[in-house]
Amino acid sequence: MNLDFRNVAKTFPSFRGAVPAVRDANFSVGDGELFILLGPSGCGKSTILNLAVGLERPTSGEIRFDGEIVASRERGIFVPPGKRNVAMVFQGYALYPHLNVRENIAFPLRVAGEAREEIDRSVARTASMLGIEELLRSRPSELSGGQRQRVAIARALVRKPRLFLLDEPLSNLDAALRAATRAELRRLQRALGVTTLYVTHDQTEAMTLGDRIALLRDGRILQTGTPRDLYEKPETPFAASFIGPYPMNLLKAVLEEEGGVRFVRLGAERLPLPPDRVPGERRPGSRNVLFGIRPEHVRAVPESPEPAPRGIVTAVEHLGRETVVTADIGGASLLAVAGEGTWKEGDIARLEIPMEFSHVFPEGDDPS
Amino acid sequence: MGGDRTIRETLRGWAFLAPLAVFILGFVFVPVAGTFIDSLHREVTFLPRAFIGLGNYRSLSSDPWFWQSLRFTVLFVLVSVPLELVLGMAFALLLHRPSRARGALRACVLLPWAVPAAVSGRVFELVCNFQYGPANYIAERLGLTVGPVNWLGSAWGAFFALVAGDTWKTAPFVAVLFLAGLSAIPGDLYRQAAVDRAGPLQRFTRITLPLLRPVVVVALLFRTIDALRVFDLVFVLTRGGPGGSTTSLSLYGYDAFAGGDVGYGSAVSVVLFLVAFALSAAYVRIGRFGRGLS
Amino acid sequence: MNGEGRTRLPYLAAAAAMTAYCIGPIVFMALTAVSRRPDFLSPGAGLEFTAAHFLEVLRTKSLHFLEYFRNSLVVSAVSAALSVSVAAPAAYAITRLEVPGRTAVLFSALAVSMFPQVSLVGYLFRLMTSLGWINTYAALVLPYTAWILPLSLWILTSYFSSVPRDLDRAALIDGCGPLEALRKVIVPVAAPGIFSTALLAFIFAFNELLFALMLTTDHHARTIPVGVALFEGLHGEIPWGAVMAAATLSTAPVVALTLLFQRRIIQGLTRGAVKE
Ligand SMILES: Nc1ncnc2c1ncn2[C@@H]1O[C@H](COP(=O)(O)OP(=O)(O)OP(=O)(O)O)[C@@H](O)[C@H]1O
Ligand SMILES: [Mg+2]
Repeated sequence: MNLDFRNVAKTFPSFRGAVPAVRDANFSVGDGELFILLGPSGCGKSTILNLAVGLERPTSGEIRFDGEIVASRERGIFVPPGKRNVAMVFQGYALYPHLNVRENIAFPLRVAGEAREEIDRSVARTASMLGIEELLRSRPSELSGGQRQRVAIARALVRKPRLFLLDEPLSNLDAALRAATRAELRRLQRALGVTTLYVTHDQTEAMTLGDRIALLRDGRILQTGTPRDLYEKPETPFAASFIGPYPMNLLKAVLEEEGGVRFVRLGAERLPLPPDRVPGERRPGSRNVLFGIRPEHVRAVPESPEPAPRGIVTAVEHLGRETVVTADIGGASLLAVAGEGTWKEGDIARLEIPMEFSHVFPEGDDPS
Repeated sequence: MGGDRTIRETLRGWAFLAPLAVFILGFVFVPVAGTFIDSLHREVTFLPRAFIGLGNYRSLSSDPWFWQSLRFTVLFVLVSVPLELVLGMAFALLLHRPSRARGALRACVLLPWAVPAAVSGRVFELVCNFQYGPANYIAERLGLTVGPVNWLGSAWGAFFALVAGDTWKTAPFVAVLFLAGLSAIPGDLYRQAAVDRAGPLQRFTRITLPLLRPVVVVALLFRTIDALRVFDLVFVLTRGGPGGSTTSLSLYGYDAFAGGDVGYGSAVSVVLFLVAFALSAAYVRIGRFGRGLS
Repeated sequence: MNGEGRTRLPYLAAAAAMTAYCIGPIVFMALTAVSRRPDFLSPGAGLEFTAAHFLEVLRTKSLHFLEYFRNSLVVSAVSAALSVSVAAPAAYAITRLEVPGRTAVLFSALAVSMFPQVSLVGYLFRLMTSLGWINTYAALVLPYTAWILPLSLWILTSYFSSVPRDLDRAALIDGCGPLEALRKVIVPVAAPGIFSTALLAFIFAFNELLFALMLTTDHHARTIPVGVALFEGLHGEIPWGAVMAAATLSTAPVVALTLLFQRRIIQGLTRGAVKE
C-alpha cells in the first residue's frame, strides 16, 4: 500500500497556547517500503505515527492510503483507526495483561469476528513465524522483554495489515537483543512485503533498517532520502551531525576563490574544494561558511605531503577497533577517527582532510 | 487527542456520560431543587398546597426547637470531628509501624467503618443502658461514678454517647485515609531527617504533618460534612432525646417530613444544605482542592 | 534496632488498646446475642450461652427479619451493580474521550457527595408516592444508585486513569469502537478496581438508613438497618438479646466482606483522597 502525507499539520491545544507538533509534513511511503521517521525526542515522530494510524486527526492537510483520503479536516473525512486495517507496535508493547499470549494475538481477529478455525490457523501461523509457539499459554506478565516484543509484533502482523507502524519498538531491549531483533524485523518486513512506518531516535537503527528515512526536527521534515543519501548528502548541518556513527565535524571557515578554484581556509591551510562540493550560486569573493567533514574520513598522521592543517592533540579515546583523536586547530576542535601512529595528548598531528568527502553549509545554519 | 474533533465525537462522549447525568439529575438535583421549591410552599398532608414565600423560614427563625437542633449540630461537629481526627491520626501512626500483625490490625480497624450506623446505634444504646449497659459498670469500676447513671436520660450523657458512637465508627475511616497518606511519604525523608538529628517529635511536626496536609484537609472536609448531616446514629441511639436536646438538623427535618409537614421539613433541609454547601466551598477554597486531582 | 526495642512495649500496649476499642463493641454485640441475659458483664452475672435469640429472630414470622435481609441484599446488590455500570462509561469518557465539560461532571459529582441526604428525601417521598412506588425496590434502587454514583465515579476515574493509554489505543487500532475498548480491555484490566468500587457501593447501600426509612413502609421493601433501628419489644421492655442477634446477623455480611477484601476496600476508600 502507498501512504501519502500532503501538507499535514498537527497542533495541540495546551495551557501554553497551541503547540505545533507537526508542521507541513509531506512524504510518501511506497508499497512494501520500510520508511523511517528519525529525529530527537519531541520532534513529532509519534504524532506523525498517530496521524497515520488514526489516533490523532490532522489540523490541516490530508493523509491518503493508496490515493484514497483517510483523513482531511477540510473535506470532513476521517476514517477511525479500527477501520484502516493498520497495525501498530507500541514502545511499551501494550499487551493486554488480562489475556494470555494466544488471546492477545487473536484479539484483532476476534474483534473482526473471524471464524474460530480461521483464527486458530492465523494465530498458529504467526506464532511459528515469530518462534513463540511455546509461549501461547503464558500471560504477558510472565514474559521477558524480548518475548513481549515478539508477541506485540505477532499481534500486529496476524491480520495482514495494510500498514505496519512501530513506535520505538526496540528501545526497551538490551543492546544484543536489539541488534538481533532489528535484523529479524527487517527479514519479516521483507518477507511479508508490508508497508512499514518505523519511528526511532537512534540513527544506527534508522541507517541499518530503513529503505528511506525522513529526518525530523521541531515538527518539520528536514530531509527525506535513503540512508546513503542522508549520510553522503546531508542538506543541513543538523542532518550532518545527527546521522553517522559520529557527528560530523563542523567548523567555521572562510570560503575563498582564486582563479576559478575555491578554497576553504582552515587555520593556516588553504584547502582546495572540488567543484561539486559548493552549494548555492557561484558568488565571487570570500564568505563565511560552515565546513563539514566526517571524523571517519579525517586521518591524523605524523607527517603529510599534502596541505593538511596542524593540530594539537587534546584527547585520545581508544575504542578497540578504532582510535578517536581530538585535535585543536586554531581554536576549533576536530575529531579524527582514521589515522596511523599512536597518539597522546599534547602531540602535534597533521590532519588529512579528503576534500571529496567535505561539505559546505551556509553559515548561520546552526547544527544544534 | 487534542482539538480537531468532530461534533459527532463530542456527542458520543456525552452519550457515555448521559446515564450518569440522568441518574444524578433525576434523583439528586431534581429532588434538591424540589426541596427548595417545597420549602416555599405550605405542603402539609391533607391541606391544599399553597405558595407562602418565605413563610416556612419565618416560622423557623422563631422556632426554638430549630435553633436547638442547629446548636446541637454545630456542637456535635465541633466536638466529634477534632476527636476523630486526633484518634484517627494515632491509629494511623500505630498501623503504619511495620509489624507482623499489620494486616490483621488494619482489618480490625476497618470493621467499625463497615458496621451499619443503625447497628452501632443499637449497640451503643445498650452499652449506655441504665439497667444492663456496661458503661455503668466500667465507669463505676474506674471510680468515675457512684451508682448507675442514666446516660441517655441526661442531655450531656446523650451528647457524649453520640460523640462516642460517631467517633467509634468514623475514626477508623480517618485512620485509613491518613495511613494511605503516611505510606505515600518516602521513607528516605525520615532517614534523612534522622541523619539531620531530628527527634521523633520533630520528624512528626516537620515532615509528617506538612506532607499529610492535603489528606488532612480531605478528611476534615469529609468528616465535617458527614457530622453536619448526621442522622442514622442520632435517630437510633437517642431519637433526638432527651427532650429534643440531641436532635440534629437532619433529624429535625425528617421529623417534620414524618409528621406530614413537607414544606417545613424542606425549609430545615435547605438550611442544612446551605450550611454544608458554604462549608465545603470554604474548604475547597482553603484546601485548594483538585490541584492535580484530574 | 535499639530504639525499636525501647518502644516495643508501649507500641504493643497501644495496639492492643486500639484493637480492643475497635472490635470491643462488635464482640459485645455478638456476646449479648448469645447470652441468656444482656447484663452478663455485671458483677455476679455470667455468660450463659444460648441460641434462643437467634432462633427467635429467624423464626418469628412477625419480625420479618429474613425478608428485610433479602430486601437489603437485593437492593444493595442491584444498586451497586447499576451504579458501577453507569459510572464505568462515564469514567471512561472522563479519562479517555476528552469530552468538553468532563471536569465539570467530575466536580459536580464530588459536590453531590456533599449534599445532605435529608435535602432529597422529602421530595423523593412525594415523587415515589405520586408514582405509586413507595415500598417497592425501585423506590430504593433508583435513589441509592444516584446516591452512590459520585463515589463510584470518583474511584473508577482514578482506577481507569492508571490503566495505560496505549492499551486502549491498541484496542482501537485492533478494530474496537470506544464501547468495545471499554468492555474488552479497560474493564477487564481494571477489574480489581471495579470490584473494589462495587464492594464499597454495596456496603454503602447496605448500611443506608434514611431513604429506606422514608420510602418503605413494611417488609415488602424494608431493609435491615430500618428493621434493626425500629426493633422494639412488644411489651415495652426491649428484648436486648434478640436486638443484638438481629444486629449481629445484619452486620455479618459487611463484616465478612470487610475481612475478606480488606485490602481492596482500603484501596478503594483512599483512591482519589490521596494522590499516588
Ligand atoms: N496530546 C498532546 N497534547 C499536547 N501536546 C502534545 C501531545 N502529544 C504530543 N504533544 C507535543 O507534541 C510534540 C511532539 O510530540 P511527539 O510525541 O510526537 O514527539 P516524539 O518525536 O515522539 O518524541 P519522543 O521521542 O520523546 O517520543 C511535543 O512537543 C509534545 O509535547
Ligand atoms: Mg514518541
